Amino acid sequence: MMTVKNKHTRILIFLVCIILGYMITMQLRSHNQYQNLAIQRAEDLTVRLKEVQADRDKLAKELDEYRAGRISGAAQKEMDDLKARAGETEMEGKGIIFTLDDSKQAAKAGENKNLYIIHDEDLLRVVNELRAAGAEAISLNGQRLIGSSEIRCVGPTVLVNERRLAAPFVISAIGNPQTLDSSLKLRGGVIENFKFWGIRADVVQSDKVRVPAFKGNRTFEFAKPVSEEEKKEAGRPATVDEGTSENKPGADAEKSEGRQASQKNAGGAQ
Amino acid sequence: MIYAIIGLIFGIVGGVLTPGFIPKIYAPYFSVALMAGLDTAFGGLRAAMEGEYDNQVFISGFVVNILLAVFFCYAGIKMDIDFYLIVILVLGMRIFNNLAIIRRLYLKK
Repeated sequence: MMTVKNKHTRILIFLVCIILGYMITMQLRSHNQYQNLAIQRAEDLTVRLKEVQADRDKLAKELDEYRAGRISGAAQKEMDDLKARAGETEMEGKGIIFTLDDSKQAAKAGENKNLYIIHDEDLLRVVNELRAAGAEAISLNGQRLIGSSEIRCVGPTVLVNERRLAAPFVISAIGNPQTLDSSLKLRGGVIENFKFWGIRADVVQSDKVRVPAFKGNRTFEFAKPVSEEEKKEAGRPATVDEGTSENKPGADAEKSEGRQASQKNAGGAQ
Repeated sequence: MIYAIIGLIFGIVGGVLTPGFIPKIYAPYFSVALMAGLDTAFGGLRAAMEGEYDNQVFISGFVVNILLAVFFCYAGIKMDIDFYLIVILVLGMRIFNNLAIIRRLYLKK
């Protein structure tokens, strides 16, 4: 149907078609490649993450070995003791497992839905109660609670040891099971308060409660330990006291705020 | 016609065998260039069927159309206007137009 006049034209058409065919395939291939790239990138990152995690674990182990190698005997024992106290070792013993879950009750009309959800404040009260009852080691959803552990709402989750946790919350505490149990079940205590809002709280006493070690990082950026000599040079303990008393008002204010809030809660419960 | 088909096959094979792919930044230029090339090819086919085929017009059209399309695309990206959409729209319309004429000529025969 198409009459091609001379050889010259044929070659040119041939060339043009080669270019066209080439372009079409390249376009199609590239398009597929872009789609694969996104997936590949995610895969690459996952692999990389695993590698880095493995590296980190290996290095942490090495560090432990070196530390174990350098000190021995009494020093080792003391260090183990200090580590246990600081929450750096996994602990096991008698205690309770306390489970908390958000309320399944529907909020009544005009009522604040937030009242039916577990907040940082509720968890803090539980932890505080357990500490008061002599709990020796506490973990929240597998996060060991140490001196610097925060419990704070971030959106729908709770931040503990810089990790986000969500309901249900499982609090494991090692201590006298009876004491811990009754401290939570006090009349007007935490569990009674939760019950009112339909927040499900469940205490189980156990002979074998495991509390994992603290896994996060702790570094002192501002604080420096004061050596014995420096203390003597500073002489009067009054200066030290001044320093701490400066901090006190703020801390007191916080405490009283918390108390007020808890009183409010208790009021709501009655 | 046979030359065109053989050429296409050669091109496709060449494209499949070529390693690598077009970087994503050049993707719009390439797609626009492809549209321009297709448009010229169909235009050439139509001209051939009408008996007005001119080799020089065809080749110059092929090169200039591609360059112009790429230039439009480039200018559009520089000016933050989606010019390449216009190019693709116009070229697409022309392809349809050419195909319609080719179809009619073919049916008339």
